[in-house]
Amino acid sequence: MLPAYRGIFVLFIALVLAAVLEADGLRKQATTQPAGFGRNVAMAVTKPLVSFSRALHLTTPRHELLVAIGRGDEDKIDTQVHFTLPPPAGPLPRKISTGPKPRKHTTKPPKPVFTTAHPLRVWVAGDSLADVPGQAMQRLGGAIDVVGVESRLSTGLGRPDLYNWFVRIAEVPQQLHPNVAVLSFGADDAHNYMSGVPAGKTVGSLGSPSWDAEYERRANGVTAELNAKGIYVVWLGLPNTDHHGFRQSFPVVNKILEDVVAKHKTMSTFVDTWKLLSDKHGHYASYLRVNGQLELMRLSDGTHYTAAAGDLIAQQVVKQLGAVYRIEP
Amino acid sequence: MLFPTVTFAVFFMIVLPTSWALMSRPRAWRAFIILASYVFYGWWDWRFVFLLAASTVVNHVVAVAIFRAESLAARKALCALGVAFDLGLLGYFKYTDFFLSSFDNVFGTSFLANVTLPVGVSFYTFMAISYVVDTYRGQLEPASFSRFAVFQAFFPHIVAGPIVRASELLPQLEEPRSPRRVDTSRAFFLIVSGLFLKVVIANHLSTHIVDDVFAAPKQHSSLEVLVAVYGYAVQIFADFCGYTNIAIGVALLLGFEFPQNFASPYAAVSLQDFWRRWHMTLSRWLRDYLYIPLGGNRKGRILTYRNLLLTMLLGGLWHGAAWTFVVWGGIHGVGLSIERLLGWRPHTRVQQWLGRVITFHVVCFGWIFFRADSFTLAWQVIERLFTAWGRPSPLVTTSIVLAILVGVLVQYVRPPVVTGLLAGFQRLSIVAQAACVAVALTVINALGPVGVAPFIYFRF
Repeated sequence: MLPAYRGIFVLFIALVLAAVLEADGLRKQATTQPAGFGRNVAMAVTKPLVSFSRALHLTTPRHELLVAIGRGDEDKIDTQVHFTLPPPAGPLPRKISTGPKPRKHTTKPPKPVFTTAHPLRVWVAGDSLADVPGQAMQRLGGAIDVVGVESRLSTGLGRPDLYNWFVRIAEVPQQLHPNVAVLSFGADDAHNYMSGVPAGKTVGSLGSPSWDAEYERRANGVTAELNAKGIYVVWLGLPNTDHHGFRQSFPVVNKILEDVVAKHKTMSTFVDTWKLLSDKHGHYASYLRVNGQLELMRLSDGTHYTAAAGDLIAQQVVKQLGAVYRIEP
Repeated sequence: MLFPTVTFAVFFMIVLPTSWALMSRPRAWRAFIILASYVFYGWWDWRFVFLLAASTVVNHVVAVAIFRAESLAARKALCALGVAFDLGLLGYFKYTDFFLSSFDNVFGTSFLANVTLPVGVSFYTFMAISYVVDTYRGQLEPASFSRFAVFQAFFPHIVAGPIVRASELLPQLEEPRSPRRVDTSRAFFLIVSGLFLKVVIANHLSTHIVDDVFAAPKQHSSLEVLVAVYGYAVQIFADFCGYTNIAIGVALLLGFEFPQNFASPYAAVSLQDFWRRWHMTLSRWLRDYLYIPLGGNRKGRILTYRNLLLTMLLGGLWHGAAWTFVVWGGIHGVGLSIERLLGWRPHTRVQQWLGRVITFHVVCFGWIFFRADSFTLAWQVIERLFTAWGRPSPLVTTSIVLAILVGVLVQYVRPPVVTGLLAGFQRLSIVAQAACVAVALTVINALGPVGVAPFIYFRF
């Protein structure tokens, strides 16, 4: 056989064999694709592939290898939206007024103080947009102790099948004991598909009442879970971007996050990165003036942050945390 | 489209057999490869396919006009026009905001344009310049339009090189490639080794130490910073060499030979030796189209140093629109000048090892500026190398040390070892070869992190 055709055969057989050996991983990749023709094809192809591969135990080597390197759960597809707290019971009955309200004499409790010796423990988590602000928080040092920056590409609250943040968020308080969770989700959720929707429910397209309600349920649940463990939540909004589609979809997520924060006023805050990183006319700006100097704020994709943008966001986070904590330099 | 993805695997399994099936009909083959290359390139952002096509049309028209022009003055003017067009394209898309922001920071005026950088523009523009200049120099006759379009857009090299010369690829496009003369063993070795370097070594170092340390050097111990600097040296080698290995392997399977781009750069005994081994296709481009036209070493000692420094500064700027890259180029320019001044030529074994150690550390020092997002962070890295010894270093793990060792030791693998491996692979049956490749792909995929991190050189 001529070498060129031999090469084609070797490559073809190798790819088929590799697909069989990696069937579980491919199935997960297929499952986590956005809804559409590509996902349907990938799901149709990987279904028999997984059955065949599992029947012959050909998925075992990959699984054993993943277990050996401590990533045994990587191929698991968990679409459950886990919350330990019961959902809100609905609006409280209105109290019937029986006379004039007694005057409240409230004195604000003193703000908890954090210093270099006793730093504020901050956990930063989210999709790829969480990474740079997390690193900027680390650079602050002093009374800010970043106990972890967990940034997972293309993940979010809408896609627990890709990475189940609800499970991770339930684990973190025990493991890392943060005082504050800085969360950056939504950039990879702002599309028409959501997994882990409760049985019997359907979710419409992005921005539809059902989509908004389900996303709000998730963001609200995360906030409530963390608040219940005494953890203050900082939601980083999504930034203005050079990408036309994102400019339409990001505000939908921002609005929901703002609504969630409004419901948990005392234990959460919303950092408006859209406003923070836009120019004075409210338009997208790849450069902004910081301390008199123009600084590049975005990477070449027009969305992801540069270190300078991360620093601006981190400063804003600390500024807003100043409303609830005394952070001594 | 990224190489280590299912999408590319599917794309290539369509393109590879179709390409060989059409090989005996050159016109149809060229039309198909141009289409495939544009699909590959447009997968990133389809709008920039038009830019690539415009670059192809203009450069071809200019090259043909140069070839047909009768007077030297006309040829010179046309060559200048072509180069100005290419540099204008590169300048606009890559440097507009950089220069305007630098200007602004000095003079306080704002004219920012928010220009998006098209992927691969630095690479295909340099290839186009070499085509125009070689035609002007009389070293090349312009190819047909479709051949030139294949040369410029050929998908294995379009995004991040290697920077193939017209004189290397165009002759291969003259005749259909022979299916008898395809070195499939070497192609598979290059593809698998490239995937291993990128997916396992580069990604592991990047996500487990380098990114964290370079983002916040002050939060890390001196040991962590030192290991991160070595780690970045290995990461950028594994990332870029990995990409070009895959590109060369993919081209080989299609029947085309690309030039080598890396030859054990961290085994270099001097900086001059390093630049003969690192991104070799860029080094020779800078030598032939910048250093030598500037006068090279023919115009006296002082001007030679000037030419070296200018070439390296501009080479630095080619890598990225930031002053940190210029400083990186400056470090190499000064280093090369000092070597020349001292007449450094290591002969004995001891001198060579001393040369390797010194060269590796000068290169690592340069990488600090190359990797750091700002001068402030670069200085913090340097300062931290000396000021936080004895602190806990949780990021320095066995797997990190192992990845760095593997990245450095592969530089010392002797060619006969690779030749022996390839000979052994070639003797295997088709199924056994396929099984070897499949197992390698499975292991690489399992060891690599979830998701595909972009290649570092995509930004350039």
